Amino acid sequence: MIPHEFEYASPATLQEALQLIADGSGKILAGGMSLIPMMKLRLASPGSIVDLRRVPGLHHIGESAGVVHIGAMATHHEIEISPVTRSRCPLLAEAAASIGDIQVRNMGTIGGSIAHADPAADYPAALLALEVQIRLASAASDRTVAAADFFQDAFTTAIEPGEIVVELLVPAEAGSEGYKYEKVAHPASGFAVVGVAARVQTANGKISMARIGVTGMGPRAFRDLPAQKLLEGGADVAAAAAVVGEGQETNSDLYASGDYRRHLARVHAARALAAAVSRAS
Amino acid sequence: MKVAGSYTLPVGQERAYELLLDPAVLAKCMPGCESLDKTGENVYAMRMKMLLGSMSGLFDGKVTITGVNPPSSYKLTVEGKGKIGFMKGEGVLTLTADPAEGKTAVQYDGDVQVGGTIAAVGQRLIDTTSKMLVKRFFEKLSKEAEASGTSAPDSVPR
Repeated sequence: MIPHEFEYASPATLQEALQLIADGSGKILAGGMSLIPMMKLRLASPGSIVDLRRVPGLHHIGESAGVVHIGAMATHHEIEISPVTRSRCPLLAEAAASIGDIQVRNMGTIGGSIAHADPAADYPAALLALEVQIRLASAASDRTVAAADFFQDAFTTAIEPGEIVVELLVPAEAGSEGYKYEKVAHPASGFAVVGVAARVQTANGKISMARIGVTGMGPRAFRDLPAQKLLEGGADVAAAAAVVGEGQETNSDLYASGDYRRHLARVHAARALAAAVSRAS
Repeated sequence: MKVAGSYTLPVGQERAYELLLDPAVLAKCMPGCESLDKTGENVYAMRMKMLLGSMSGLFDGKVTITGVNPPSSYKLTVEGKGKIGFMKGEGVLTLTADPAEGKTAVQYDGDVQVGGTIAAVGQRLIDTTSKMLVKRFFEKLSKEAEASGTSAPDSVPR
């Protein structure tokens, strides 16, 4: 099918883009990897589209003062290969590398992906584990939201009408951290049936810091605070992995039931943590 | 697809049952419901605009209320057909007065069937979406109950 008729705008500046959506109308187009297929199926029929492709200042990946700044329009492929991300926040690069397929990674953007907030997306798990801040701009404001407050429900984020994701701020890691993104990919779509992002810091053979983000298991990605606490309190990986997802909502579909997803989250949390520990120095 | 769970409403059982059967309240609380017009005894024609993220779809359908057993239970059937597919949800709502004063636990047990485009491409989201819609319904109903609570016969006068 072809999409319903729509108005199309391709603003040349961020201000222009923000003005176009200031009244709450207009759907933002980034990489189009989620929006265009939905429009072709007529599952989404926005009356007007605001394309960000010409807007400057949204494509950067750079570090300054211990923070990696990633523009909302940086593609998954750019994040995957950037020497900055690979050295300063490799967990994010690893998650980016696992998204969809090469074609999707060449076009899809991190800003678009997080704004879409698919429950089975890969980035949210890594963003939660990395404690990323997300910068949102509107015609009248500029604010940052912590990843933990950004992903609220399936396809629901903290973005208010008139706001655009402009940048992600990732604390650059020390270099001694261990990390791993473990994903169970759906064989057809490549979406995360379950994805676990783990980040650890060790001291004298014990885990001194642990961050665990889980995606795909429920309506939104979550931090597993109980498992993190257990690890930081001295428990071993097996004990912590065994409680991952406890009390959290689960999704269920023909491919994987809620209980099976929780089981997968535990198995892959154990693997991610073990790999992260062995990578830590 | 089975959908089951429970939600606690902040009003007494009689009032909760009253609200759950009131078409004006249902129209206000059912997510995306644009209109609910009576076409027969306990049968209503419904127009619904479903919104989920960037997705949206108009549905025309029917809401039927059967097995009316005040103030304990009834069966709600919601059917809708639109360009993006069709859906049919059937559920039995059972009310029990909560030990905590002035509250009612509503247990829902139902089945949701979806077909067409939304089922073909969105199968993985049906469970999530159904749960989200049910949650939104009860959250709105809770607000509605609180807003009109002071006029209920079994509420504590102030």
